[in-house]
Amino acid sequence: MDVRINETENVTTVELEGRLDTAVSQEVAAALQPVIDKAGKIIVLDCRDLDYISSSGLRIFLTVRKAAAAAGGKVIVRDISTEIRQVFMMTGFLNLFEMQETPKD
Amino acid sequence: MMAKLDKGKRQAARQGLLIVVVALLTVQVTSLLQFAYSKYTVTQEANRRAEGQLEATELHILGVMDQVETAVRNAVWSVQQQLQRPDSLAAITRRMVENNPVVCGSSVALTGRNIAPYSHEENGRVVTSTLATEEYDYQHQEWFLKPLELGKGYWSEPYYDEGGGNMLMTTYSVPVLNKKGHPAAVLTADVSLDWLTELVGRVQVYPDAFSMVVSQSGQIMVCPVETLVMKKNIHELASSMEEAEQFHQLNSSLLSGQPGNATYRYEGKVHRIFFDSVPRTGWSMSISIPQDEIYADMKRMGWVVLLLQLLGLGLLGLVLYVTVRNQRKLNQVSLSKSRIEGELQVASSIQMSMVPKIFPPYPERSEVDMFAAMDPAKEVGGDFYDFFTRNERLFFCIGDVSGKGVPASLLMAVTRSLFRTVSAHERSPQRIVTTINESMAEMNENNMFVTLFCGVLDLRSGHLRYCNAGHNPPVLVTPKGNRTLPMVANLPVGVMQEMVFSEQEEDLVPGTGIFLYTDGLTEAENHAKELFGEDRMMEILRADISSRQLIGDMTAAVHGFAAGAEQSDDLTMLYIRFMNNQLAGETERHLILHNDIQQIPQLASFVEAVAEIAHLDVTLTMSLNLALEEAVSNVIMYAYPPGSDGLVDVEAVVRNDELEFIVSDNGVAFDPTAAPEADVSLDVDERPIGGLGIFLVKNIMDRVSYTRSDDGKNILSMTKILS
Repeated sequence: MDVRINETENVTTVELEGRLDTAVSQEVAAALQPVIDKAGKIIVLDCRDLDYISSSGLRIFLTVRKAAAAAGGKVIVRDISTEIRQVFMMTGFLNLFEMQETPKD
Repeated sequence: MMAKLDKGKRQAARQGLLIVVVALLTVQVTSLLQFAYSKYTVTQEANRRAEGQLEATELHILGVMDQVETAVRNAVWSVQQQLQRPDSLAAITRRMVENNPVVCGSSVALTGRNIAPYSHEENGRVVTSTLATEEYDYQHQEWFLKPLELGKGYWSEPYYDEGGGNMLMTTYSVPVLNKKGHPAAVLTADVSLDWLTELVGRVQVYPDAFSMVVSQSGQIMVCPVETLVMKKNIHELASSMEEAEQFHQLNSSLLSGQPGNATYRYEGKVHRIFFDSVPRTGWSMSISIPQDEIYADMKRMGWVVLLLQLLGLGLLGLVLYVTVRNQRKLNQVSLSKSRIEGELQVASSIQMSMVPKIFPPYPERSEVDMFAAMDPAKEVGGDFYDFFTRNERLFFCIGDVSGKGVPASLLMAVTRSLFRTVSAHERSPQRIVTTINESMAEMNENNMFVTLFCGVLDLRSGHLRYCNAGHNPPVLVTPKGNRTLPMVANLPVGVMQEMVFSEQEEDLVPGTGIFLYTDGLTEAENHAKELFGEDRMMEILRADISSRQLIGDMTAAVHGFAAGAEQSDDLTMLYIRFMNNQLAGETERHLILHNDIQQIPQLASFVEAVAEIAHLDVTLTMSLNLALEEAVSNVIMYAYPPGSDGLVDVEAVVRNDELEFIVSDNGVAFDPTAAPEADVSLDVDERPIGGLGIFLVKNIMDRVSYTRSDDGKNILSMTKILS
């Protein structure tokens, strides 16, 4: 599991790559702590290379979302796969996040 | 080894020597026999020639004498008639000389009265004179007295007529009786012996042979040394010689009147002398031949034969030497050849033991029926096949290493090992082939390569994944007909690194067979150099016979086609029949984890394996993975007290139309199904962080149930209905 954080003045982009399962969730949560701490801006969770997510991963997403809501920021989930989209749908997460698709060339 | 060779060398030398000695003895014994026989025949021949010559000469002499004796006898009557008229006697002598060419003088000498008319030839004319002179006194001459004494004809000793014509002469004289029967006169005829010298001189049986005629007293009449003629007799001659004794003995034999032969030494040479007497005259005639001359031809021939024999023996020795040397080399060559053959035999059996040879390989499995045959062109070959099962999958491959013989067999062993090693943890044929290629291309210094077909057949579903690296496309044998597997053109493995190989897939319906082969089958040649070809192969392939029978039929067909023509390439065949889809039954998979969150990723491959068996798509696989992870992570996090060790048992059961996960543990009793579920309709502010796990499990799975077993286990069963 790789987490890459890219910060600009207004936007923090988090690239997630691999499988976000229970085993790595604590690690990922720790990696995202700085993002949660400064949640008052636009946070983009780039899921283009995210293969899998479990409930522990979903909880991290929710934590980020709550922090942003509290700090007046905004969370955008970008380019999730069909499979993960189904999980989002199942769990009502689709309603909690602003979903974004990069147009395919 | 060296001692052995030396021994062989000595033995060979001994044998060679023995052969030469035996040949030498044989040749020598035959030569000696031949020589003895030749000597005998040559001696016989010399005797025959000498005796023949003596006889012929004798006959000639006798002929002349007969002539003279007859003429004289005829004249006797005339003399008797004219005894009373002495004047007419001269005429008789004249006629005698005129009418008989051999007679060169004749006289009639009367007894009592001194009357002896004599006619003789002189310069071609006949001259008549008288012998009755004071000086001569014929009545006391031997030729006159002897016939009267004997009462019959008498040949005189030869004499040299110095007065008449320097001739060797002899005289034949007969007594003439008067009417009262008393001797009244002697009639003579002088005969020149010049013809005798000439006759005997002609006798040349051998170039250096010589003849002699001697009178009864031993006077030499004819002899090659003219100074001896009528000057010496042989007794004097013998006395003047060295080794006189042998010549005296010889003289007695010569004068004995008996025919015979003898040898004598003269001037260091051995001579052979043949002799005989001339009847009536008392003369003896002899022929002397140097012994060397008799055997000269034979000796010359003897030398030639000896020379030829030596040459022949030398040649024989040379031939033997060369043969022995070649034989030794041949022995060494065949020694090392047999060692190599022995090693190849071992290599061959090692190689054959590398490929599975026991058929059926999985007698307990009804879903697969397979058979294989491998027939290297030489002791070892570059073809190979292999297969094994792992997790309900049949991994198999067939390959053909470029080239033949030992180098190919080594690479074959390497490739086969790589296949086993790589496919132990890979289940994608594409990744197996790629990994093998990387390893082989890296160490391929001899630019050898391998065509390789690698397949993984799911024995539950009949799903076939395969990757073909330049090998002949296998044939799918179905009840509806045969077709070759679709092939992407990949290069053989070992050519270069970093090559990309494509994987393909195919679903097999039960009853379908996969026929894999190497080009040794389609390119088998008969004596007419025709190829067996794919058409003939396709005709044999039938879906309704067992794998053993199909391989047997194919082997018989290709052997029948080749009809004894030499096999030029390795021939390998592997036939796999997928029999029935075992989804109708039940398949179980187990996984045991520790209560460590880091073991969670193992679930991914476990679910993937189960999904393969159940033939599930990617989305469903991920959902099932998610549900199972939620259930398992729940146990890991809450069933056991923190810091204590515990196990989580995960079981998957694939049935015909459903998939059941059973998660069990020995931890504290806990029913996750009873836990509060997340309300997914709440807004972000109201949503609690927890409760999502069991919600996902219940949503993904169709049935979820919890039981606490009597032996203190939490058992969570989750079932997904498969459409």
